[in-house]
Amino acid sequence: MVTQTSLNYVPVVVAAIVSGTVLSLLFILAAVVAPKRRTMISAIPYESGIPPKGSTWKQINLRYYLFAVFFLVFDIEAVFLFPWALTYLGIGAIAFFEMVIFLGILFLGLVYAWKKGVLKWT
Amino acid sequence: MESVTGAIAFWILAVAIIGCAVLVLTVPNIFHSALFLVGCLGGIAGIYILLNADFLAAVQILIYIGAVAVMLIFGIMLTQDVVKSNVSNHYRIPALGLSGAFLVILLTAIFGTNWQTQSPSTEASTGSIADALFSNYILPFELSSVVLLTAIIGAIVIAKER
Amino acid sequence: MINDVNLNYLSPEIAMVALAIIIILGDLVIKNRQLLTLITFAGLLVPVMLTINLWGTTGESFNGALVVDQFALFFKFLVMFAVFIVILSSQDYLHRFTRYTGEYYGLILLSAAGMMLVAGTRELISMYLALELTTFSIVALAAFLKTKESTESAIKYLVLSAVTSAVMLYGIVLVFGLTGSTHFHGIAEWIGNSNVSSTSLILDSGTLGDGAIGFIGFLFILAGFGFKVATVPFHMWVPDVYEGAPTPITAYLSVASKAAGFAILLRVLYEVFQPIQPDWQLLIAVLAVISMFTGNLLAIVQSNIKRLLGYSTIAHAGYILIGVTVGNTLGQSGVLFYLAVYTITNLGAFASVIVISNLTNSEKTSDFIGIGRVAIFPAIVLTIALISLTGAPPTAGFIGKVYLFNAAVQSDYTWLAIVGVVNSVISAYYYWKVIRIMYQSSGASTDTSGDPNGNRVSASMNISLGIALVGILILGIAPDWILGFVENAVAIVQTTYPTA
Repeated sequence: MVTQTSLNYVPVVVAAIVSGTVLSLLFILAAVVAPKRRTMISAIPYESGIPPKGSTWKQINLRYYLFAVFFLVFDIEAVFLFPWALTYLGIGAIAFFEMVIFLGILFLGLVYAWKKGVLKWT
Repeated sequence: MESVTGAIAFWILAVAIIGCAVLVLTVPNIFHSALFLVGCLGGIAGIYILLNADFLAAVQILIYIGAVAVMLIFGIMLTQDVVKSNVSNHYRIPALGLSGAFLVILLTAIFGTNWQTQSPSTEASTGSIADALFSNYILPFELSSVVLLTAIIGAIVIAKER
Repeated sequence: MINDVNLNYLSPEIAMVALAIIIILGDLVIKNRQLLTLITFAGLLVPVMLTINLWGTTGESFNGALVVDQFALFFKFLVMFAVFIVILSSQDYLHRFTRYTGEYYGLILLSAAGMMLVAGTRELISMYLALELTTFSIVALAAFLKTKESTESAIKYLVLSAVTSAVMLYGIVLVFGLTGSTHFHGIAEWIGNSNVSSTSLILDSGTLGDGAIGFIGFLFILAGFGFKVATVPFHMWVPDVYEGAPTPITAYLSVASKAAGFAILLRVLYEVFQPIQPDWQLLIAVLAVISMFTGNLLAIVQSNIKRLLGYSTIAHAGYILIGVTVGNTLGQSGVLFYLAVYTITNLGAFASVIVISNLTNSEKTSDFIGIGRVAIFPAIVLTIALISLTGAPPTAGFIGKVYLFNAAVQSDYTWLAIVGVVNSVISAYYYWKVIRIMYQSSGASTDTSGDPNGNRVSASMNISLGIALVGILILGIAPDWILGFVENAVAIVQTTYPTA
């Protein structure tokens, strides 16, 4: 079940365990050592000194959604770049042009969004 | 020894994935559901790593945990009544029966099938995926850019208020 | 390594996408809507010419992912024809959303590129992406009006198509897992070589056979196609989406999307799953029957003309499925011919609905009272189109139905043909009710609510009405040329596999 390659991930697992342990230790330490004095004011979330207003569970602006869409699209583009970088030397010039077409089409989408003023926050 | 660690890792991940999946369905706040879904997707990335599908694992983390989760959470935050939105309905028991029956059929079929199996290759898979993607599967690759372009245009047409 | 790229074979789709991008980006600089429309029409000639250029060629490219044959080219022509008429008929509708004209044309063209590719693909991943390209564009187009109904229709279409896409993808995964190939010929080869016979498929001496998982996968893929062509278990989206979407888009959805769905359905059934035909033939027949009855019986109670045509489209998917069930050359060419007939008829019907509902400011059939005297030409076209949908002579619908039912009778599916005839009779009731309302004299027939100046019918609208009218009558009176054409087209699908 476990082969050579997945052993490469052992450091990742170790790092996850170590950081998880350290983090929980810090929380436990804080809970044990810190003096407990709960007042109304200490329960308020810290927003750089300004008293918080209203609920945090509120509807956000629709514009965020467009940014999420762009992020998703260009994230997918980035994912395709990884295998492309690996195979580039093997396949050669054609792979280069394939990626140019792919990026070109997405770039047109970006130009469109930019010209439509979607990227501007006004 | 290796297979033992593999089995341990697999079962830890399996329990985590199913636990997260159950929590997605049961927690009252839909926002928390989304977060548990992210946990579920992360566990699946772990399974991919165990199967030596490193490229799939990277895709899973970058796209699903990175981008799709962001979309999902933004989508939830766009709704009007964010907290109370994970409402239950009357179809819980019929739905359970239906999906249970489906599970039984699928499991029987899966275990009754003579799959064309290969032992997972010991090499990193990204290279061979890349070779296939940029030679045999050029058409779907380039097509995906057109699909993404359409998604951008469609999203702007729908969401831009002015 | 890359041995098999023939861009010539892909040229119509490339031209379509390029045109879409030019129109969408052109909209940013060209402020004149008329000019943009003109560029769209002129540009549409390029993919048409490129398709004509490919006429007669048969071959594969992209390692079998793309195929050019008469079958694919037939559907490419059909889709481009639908695009042409839809854009023509949109001219009297565009005033409702002046802002995004370029995007409107561009999205129509992008989805057309998807449909053209669907007809010419022989590989599951390309097929999936092409279907998604079609769907995404149509979702955005359905939401174009930005009214409550329009948005609702877009959401319904998006959610339901996402669900069926997911189901279809799961089916693709199962089939790929079993056969180890995403290419149609690879899967067909596996099915041919395996010992999966029709009897061992579902229950093989008490245990589930090897084919069971493949059959589940097959059913899931079928569900995806069922959504596209709007057959009964997957038809729930139709009435609401048809009602809420802009009328030209409803027309486009009802003809082009359906044609592309049937193209890929025929190809997958008869190129990939031909060896297990006995397993799915009855299933398709049952789908045909329940689609016909559901569509026709529910259409009777509709008061909105778009909903009525929506239910009628479900029924027509049922008629066409008769041909899919029969499946020999006669049945398949019947499917192609009926799709051509249905395309031109439904485009005519929706074009006249656009004109008439512009006049009456309503989409209710009861408000069409006496419209036959006010809008003479649109009313005539709608009448002829409805007669053709019923399947009465001398219209195209008559020949189409005769051809399909004849194919059923020839292959011992007489009961299916009888069901089809019964349903045609049922459908006559609600189609003719609309016709009767149009020519009824109402008490206030002279008052046509709305001033005549604001409701002038544009020349392009009249052209599209005229084309539809002439098309319905020509296909009804002299169908020989197109019948030869479609028989030729399906002959290739018949003979291509399993020889590969």
